[in-house]
Amino acid sequence: MKKKIKSIVSHPLTPVFSSMLVLIVALLLRPISFAIALCLFIAALALVGWPVALDAVRGLLRRDLLDEKFLMCIASIGAMCIGEYTEAVAVMLFYSVGEYFQERAVKKARSSIRSLMEICPDTATVLTAEGEEEMDAEEVPVGATLLLRAGDRVPLDAKILTGSADVDTSALTGESRLRAVTVSDALDSGTVIVSGMLTAEALRPAEESAAARILSLVETASENKSKEENFITKFAVWYTPLVVGAALMLALVPPLFGLAPLVECVRRALLFLVVSCPCALVISVPMAFFGGIGGAASRGVLFKGGNVFSPLAKATHFVFDKTGTLTTGAFSVSHVIAYHGEEQELLALAAAAEYGSNHPVAKALQNAVQTPLQANAVRELAGKGIIARIGGQEVAVGNARLMAECGIRDPRVDAANGAILIARDGVLLGEIHLSDTVKPEAKAALADLRSLGVKELHMLTGDAEAAAKSVADSLGLDSYSASLRPEDKYAALEEILKDPKNRVAYVGDGINDSPSLARADVGIAMGRAGTDSAMEASDIVIMSDVLSRLPDAVRIAKKTVRIAKQNIAFALAVKLGVLILGAFGLVGMWWGVFADVGVAVLAILNSMRTLRKG
Amino acid sequence: MKCKYTITGLDCPNCAAKLSAMLEKEEGIESAKINFLTEKVTVETSLDADAALALVKETAAKFSKNVVIEA
Repeated sequence: MKKKIKSIVSHPLTPVFSSMLVLIVALLLRPISFAIALCLFIAALALVGWPVALDAVRGLLRRDLLDEKFLMCIASIGAMCIGEYTEAVAVMLFYSVGEYFQERAVKKARSSIRSLMEICPDTATVLTAEGEEEMDAEEVPVGATLLLRAGDRVPLDAKILTGSADVDTSALTGESRLRAVTVSDALDSGTVIVSGMLTAEALRPAEESAAARILSLVETASENKSKEENFITKFAVWYTPLVVGAALMLALVPPLFGLAPLVECVRRALLFLVVSCPCALVISVPMAFFGGIGGAASRGVLFKGGNVFSPLAKATHFVFDKTGTLTTGAFSVSHVIAYHGEEQELLALAAAAEYGSNHPVAKALQNAVQTPLQANAVRELAGKGIIARIGGQEVAVGNARLMAECGIRDPRVDAANGAILIARDGVLLGEIHLSDTVKPEAKAALADLRSLGVKELHMLTGDAEAAAKSVADSLGLDSYSASLRPEDKYAALEEILKDPKNRVAYVGDGINDSPSLARADVGIAMGRAGTDSAMEASDIVIMSDVLSRLPDAVRIAKKTVRIAKQNIAFALAVKLGVLILGAFGLVGMWWGVFADVGVAVLAILNSMRTLRKG
Repeated sequence: MKCKYTITGLDCPNCAAKLSAMLEKEEGIESAKINFLTEKVTVETSLDADAALALVKETAAKFSKNVVIEA
């Protein structure tokens, strides 16, 4: 019971309700005894207004005459002085209720963004000599052995020691795709073990693990202010003095020239004081970007600041790195040219020779055919290829240099343009052409980008002309540049940036294209969850390597910028509207409160739309 | 030295800006940044950790009794 009373007394709305009650009693008693009513009006004002007054005094102590709380007090006391008792109390009531709802809205926004980011558990199960031990994730030393069961989240970056499991990295990448992992695979913190059981060695302390790095990136991101945010901050500095100045003029100038009665002018000026708080303005914009950053992060897209949204929303040109970005980085056989025998036979020979190799090319050949042949006496010549004995004959699979080594002189060897050559007992059998596989979602994602207003799509690659052309054609790119060295890529990007009308986004994998990522209007690194190099050079990190996240990111950027602008326009329009109407005496003081805290609450609610999809 | 604290109880970003300006006027604090949305205050200071925290708490109390600073 005692507790209950205490919680009622300490509830933030208790002063508001008690003040309201006193106000009602005062209004009822007013016709009977004005003196008692006046005392009750003052009591009602004091009940709801004393916390505001306390802060106002603190404001005065630091000589801040434009403090919001101080101005509210002046407005309220001023209203009392000119006999507007009800209005005086009502303004303070509305203000307190508004502040309460504003605080709730901000809290709600903060927690919904934070819950999106809660991707890492606080505790870890550590295996020690004595057995299992629950520990604070932050206290787990590097090198400790973690026990991970189905349903657990990985608390710190770790490497699997025993066992195998299916894991889900969607909390980090925004992509729900199960991945099978086994001994010596790395696990990022935040990964969920879906089935299976593992022991793993802690590689990094909790605060340096992937999830923590992503969190701190998102937190600091809201410190990189957008253009809109800077505008509103600058505006706010001038706004309050301007409105307070206008209030003074309004109160004093017309009565001085006998144009209007003093009391009426003061009444209108007091409304100005209520509207003079810049809160709604200053909260509306960062809130939108904070929501945008949080909403994007939950979908595996990290914006490194509010200043990144607008350039992405406006991007007219997208420039892509090819390997690993538009393509999977894994090779597959595109076509075979057989000079002698069947194409399948050629593939079978090559696959047999490459059977034991780990080279990406060997993988592509093994995937292309199930070979019945067996190779022995396999020799791998680095940078050239493989020589092996298959069915008693010597088979060479490799590049032109390997053919030269085998004593084969044939014009077709030099014309093969990067293809794999196959020779048997010194006779050239044919060529196998490989290509990088285009990501399955690439075409749809690029079409989606165009539908969002991107005018041109370019590709830069170090690959040979033929390979580049086939990728560019299959994806319907506007242009491509092939055979580029890393420094040529930068120059090619510069060329596109030369036209000041072009707003260029560069999409790379962040491994060796940091200069380009940094140079473009927006640098987007893909598929590099948690790595430092990508996080540093780029403006946006896409945690998965799925290209459809790109149009998603553009949509989020457009929506966020739109909401930020709506908030600015709405807050300015309402404030200006109320000021004008108030100057002519058309609206009462409570409209001023709506223009202040009411608008702030609406702007916060509007900002929360950035968290929703679509 | 850079110190980071949690700050709760601020009403709006405008108040946050005012408080950080107040902090920056204090002796021993070179810069103070308050992130209203993430409720973090980052202070660049020449003081030791304890003194810095005490100073930030004291200044915040001068600003408003609702503001709470935690290490």
